[in-house]
Amino acid sequence: MESLTLPATLESLKAIREYVGLASSTAGLSKDRSYGLALAVDEIATNIITHGYQEAGLAGDIVMQADISDGTVEITIKDNGMAFNPLTHIEPDDLETPLDERSVGGLGIFLAQKNVDELRYGYVDGQNINIFVIRPK
Amino acid sequence: MAFGVTTEQTNGIAKISLSGELDASSAADFRTAVEQVATEKPRRLVLMMDKLTFMASAGLRILVFAKQKMGREVDIFIVGAHDAVLETIEMTGFHHSVILLDDYDAAQIES
Repeated sequence: MESLTLPATLESLKAIREYVGLASSTAGLSKDRSYGLALAVDEIATNIITHGYQEAGLAGDIVMQADISDGTVEITIKDNGMAFNPLTHIEPDDLETPLDERSVGGLGIFLAQKNVDELRYGYVDGQNINIFVIRPK
Repeated sequence: MAFGVTTEQTNGIAKISLSGELDASSAADFRTAVEQVATEKPRRLVLMMDKLTFMASAGLRILVFAKQKMGREVDIFIVGAHDAVLETIEMTGFHHSVILLDDYDAAQIES
């Protein structure tokens, strides 16, 4: 699919999910898998926008690229915000804790990791590269 | 679909109806609705999710906020959540702290 460049703002999240949805339907993913992929990408994109750009006082773009082959969908997000590797993030250890005692950090990355078959990360030439993979079942 | 939120309160039951897509860009509207109903000190909080098509972790954070704002004695009911949204709620363990219902059950909610 053609790549899509969007400003790194929360208002872009809807267009990001729509782009992922188009890739999912092109690849013939089930409704469940399609939702999971959109959720995973939404969560990481939210992190990039809020932590990588806004809280760091930076402005810039997010570039999306979808590749589909033999039923496998790969979504790549590239950004020039602060370096952040979601794979080094520690899984929340309080999933069983009542809500009134909970901390709320890390849930987004946890959901991203749980909803795709593979999440890869690289930092190349000042760019964060996050790759989400859904394989045919 | 754009996110929508409406609130109503009757006899100590606060009801917030959510529709469309709840992501990090729309979570502030949900939070505002929770703050608004919390001022009336309701004994139950009912979240109607039958028209909610997407919920990111930003929505879960508002559930935590609601529980902490209103206190643990205020039960939170989630009514009619779609399967995908339910899966997120269960995957993150939030189902331990809320009451999940398929339909609005007046006998249970308003007792």
